[in-house]
Amino acid sequence: MRVFVGQRAWLLQRASALALLLFLALGAALLLVGPPLTYERWHALATSLPGAVIIVLLFAALSLHGWIGARDIVLDYIHSMPARLSVLGIIAVILFAIVIRVALTMAAHLSLVT
Amino acid sequence: MHIRIYRYDPETGAQPHMQDYTIELESGDKKLLDVLMRLKNIDDSLSFRRSCREGVCGSDAMNINGRNGLACITALSTLKEPVVLRPLPGFPVIRDLVVDMTQFFAHYHEIKPYLINDDVPPERERLQTPEQRERLNGLYECILCACCSAFCPSYWWNPDKFIGPAGLLQAYRFIVDSRDTATAERLAYLDDVYRLYRCRTIMNCTEVCPKGLSPSHAIEGIRLELVRASS
Repeated sequence: MRVFVGQRAWLLQRASALALLLFLALGAALLLVGPPLTYERWHALATSLPGAVIIVLLFAALSLHGWIGARDIVLDYIHSMPARLSVLGIIAVILFAIVIRVALTMAAHLSLVT
Repeated sequence: MHIRIYRYDPETGAQPHMQDYTIELESGDKKLLDVLMRLKNIDDSLSFRRSCREGVCGSDAMNINGRNGLACITALSTLKEPVVLRPLPGFPVIRDLVVDMTQFFAHYHEIKPYLINDDVPPERERLQTPEQRERLNGLYECILCACCSAFCPSYWWNPDKFIGPAGLLQAYRFIVDSRDTATAERLAYLDDVYRLYRCRTIMNCTEVCPKGLSPSHAIEGIRLELVRASS
């Protein structure tokens, strides 16, 4: 098994970039269309089921995109295997924690968990 | 004309340094190589490679005023003084402007730069349609001067693992060749995070190629062929 894959990572990076573009367009639409984006409106959006799902997906796409980008930089510049694995490990834990944290927060808003 | 040249002689043990030369241009001096060859007559310790002196052999690739190019087809009239000459960046220096191309050619051999076809050869030749032949244009002209690979940051970072723009352009030349039957093996070999996917589309290779070729497009072509092959 190859640890660092080629094409799959390249495709995922492009797919997540497209997803991020889509979310960006959604965000822009929210700002430009409809009533002003007040705290109340944000709160209502974020605590609705579609809103929460989109926010979790946004952070998942962002983390995935960031992971592949960061991995590329590490592969370029850090050539010692122990140092490389440590840095990759730290990045992976941080990105994963961000997604979990967002997912748990959204779930709490939706009263799925207490 | 004022020229500054990177000098290094491993036999003296001295550190590399820049040496200044001033030379009067003569009417026959049109290209940078003309001046370099006259300098060599004055200072025979100056080392550089050259052969065909007309942009076909790719021997005299060097870094000219911060840009890789062939001395033999670089017009003197386009150069700002002092003309600073350095060996190809990222390559181990053997002496002065002569670099070690071993790794570069090892990558070239890695991609199997020859037609693979185990079918029984036809009596005369393997024919191609004009369209099939057209696909080789912009690829077969590469003279392996290494201007592109030596201008590629990804190649500077991972010269041992990344095949580099020159090797990948050559790889694509055989992938798109209608007479070659090893396309799947070639693609499988390249589907690797280092060999192909270290390319970040920086496009220095295309920018600097003295033959006007585009390794960036060839690399994009390989990626698309890989997508096609896996779908």
